Amino acid sequence: MITSTQKDFDDILRMLAENNIFIIGCGRCAKKQRTGGEPEVLDIEKKLASSGKNVTGWMILKSACNVVSWDDVLSQNPGIGKADAILVMSCGGGVSVISRFANMQVYPGLDTQSIGGICCNEVVTGQCNMCGNCTIWQYGGICPSARCAKGLLNGPCGGAREGKCEVDERDCAWDAIFERLRSIDKLEYLEKIHEPKEYLRKYR
Amino acid sequence: MNLSFNSKLKSGKFVITAEVCPPKGTDISRMLKDADLLKDTVDAVNITDNQRAIMRMSPLAACSVLEKEGIETIMHVTCRDRNRLGLQSDLLGAHMLGIRNVLVMSGDHPAMGDHAGAKPVYDVDSVQLIGMIGKLNQGFDLAGNKLEMKTDFCVGAVTNPELNEPASIKLRKKIKMGAGFFQTQAVFHTGIFSGFMEKINEIQPQVKVLAGIMPLKSEKNAVYLNKIPGIRVPKDVIERLKRAKNAEEEGIRIAAEMIEELRHMCDGIHIMPLKNNNNTRKLLEMTGLI
Repeated sequence: MITSTQKDFDDILRMLAENNIFIIGCGRCAKKQRTGGEPEVLDIEKKLASSGKNVTGWMILKSACNVVSWDDVLSQNPGIGKADAILVMSCGGGVSVISRFANMQVYPGLDTQSIGGICCNEVVTGQCNMCGNCTIWQYGGICPSARCAKGLLNGPCGGAREGKCEVDERDCAWDAIFERLRSIDKLEYLEKIHEPKEYLRKYR
Repeated sequence: MNLSFNSKLKSGKFVITAEVCPPKGTDISRMLKDADLLKDTVDAVNITDNQRAIMRMSPLAACSVLEKEGIETIMHVTCRDRNRLGLQSDLLGAHMLGIRNVLVMSGDHPAMGDHAGAKPVYDVDSVQLIGMIGKLNQGFDLAGNKLEMKTDFCVGAVTNPELNEPASIKLRKKIKMGAGFFQTQAVFHTGIFSGFMEKINEIQPQVKVLAGIMPLKSEKNAVYLNKIPGIRVPKDVIERLKRAKNAEEEGIRIAAEMIEELRHMCDGIHIMPLKNNNNTRKLLEMTGLI
């Protein structure tokens, strides 16, 4: 799952130069995280209207990053034809797919954060760094490239205090890696010296 | 002839280093003055690399200036700001300019400093960087290409004296990759430090250890330092500073006592003065080390 957060409404307003706006939500990740499903789209619609914008309509795509026929979308949503711009409440993947089709300005309503997941209704963020060269099995399924603030591959930096990362409130990823490897009796992986990662297969 | 820092380390001499930070700007007069206080007093001067992620003059440039002044330097190299190309390229340049000692560390995260939005690099970590410098010393770059003349760096690393299990594993990796000496975070507990030395001696007794010494300035200063990872100022020390008529003098006395207790356990000391080195000479005189 792609994790995302909603942009501040004031930032959205500053971004939107046009007056006639169509809103597209996403029925996949953004819906599950409650950042771009129907309730959030309706909320933005209300706020835009009370800020003087003309919302020409809204829709929730089953998945904003997977559009089979834009003609079908257009024919089912005449409001798009009346709009000067589209506000997409999805991850950057959805915004870019819709930008390919729509012959007008397309704006992101969300900030894309990371690859994550949902565990027992809890959204977990920053689980994968999309390095193109997955070695997560050597770290007990906890990717240091994504979950350590410095992405260190050979152990902790020494900056954690009482198990908390020096950067923010997150727990030190290396304590978690150690505990997980210990629990599955694979601590020998921790002794391995990992070479610098090859980023050739990372898209960018 | 003056022996190099590396030769002194190898000969078993008790070595003394102290820290100087490059200027925030282009005026090097304060840095030169600070380093001058240490000349003929310490065996090498550490030059920090944008410490606390606060942008300052490049340690490469600063070390080069001091080397020309006849002051041997230990250049800090963090993994935060440069990828493997930038690091190797700067290391070759540093070597050409006469810099022979480097101290490797991950580096404080940009979010801690004055350019909080900067992209953190950490393309290689400290273990990998030590290995990379080892390759340069053998005449090859990280990709295995042959260099026109190899480097001859003396490579050190940093450590907290108090280590949990994952951190101990990392310490072993740094030693395995070729770290020849360690400079520790400031020590205020003899017991913790002797435990650390036992750990080092189990892994590799030849590794040299310079205990971190930080003269405290005031009670407030000590309380603040307790928020820094790896530093633990005990209550009785804070109490002493509180009661002292002159806290700064008391801080120097505490540091001198610490040196006295640690000097027979390790291979040297690394003095981390707060702000400037006015007190470093006083401290060393008090301990009879100079």
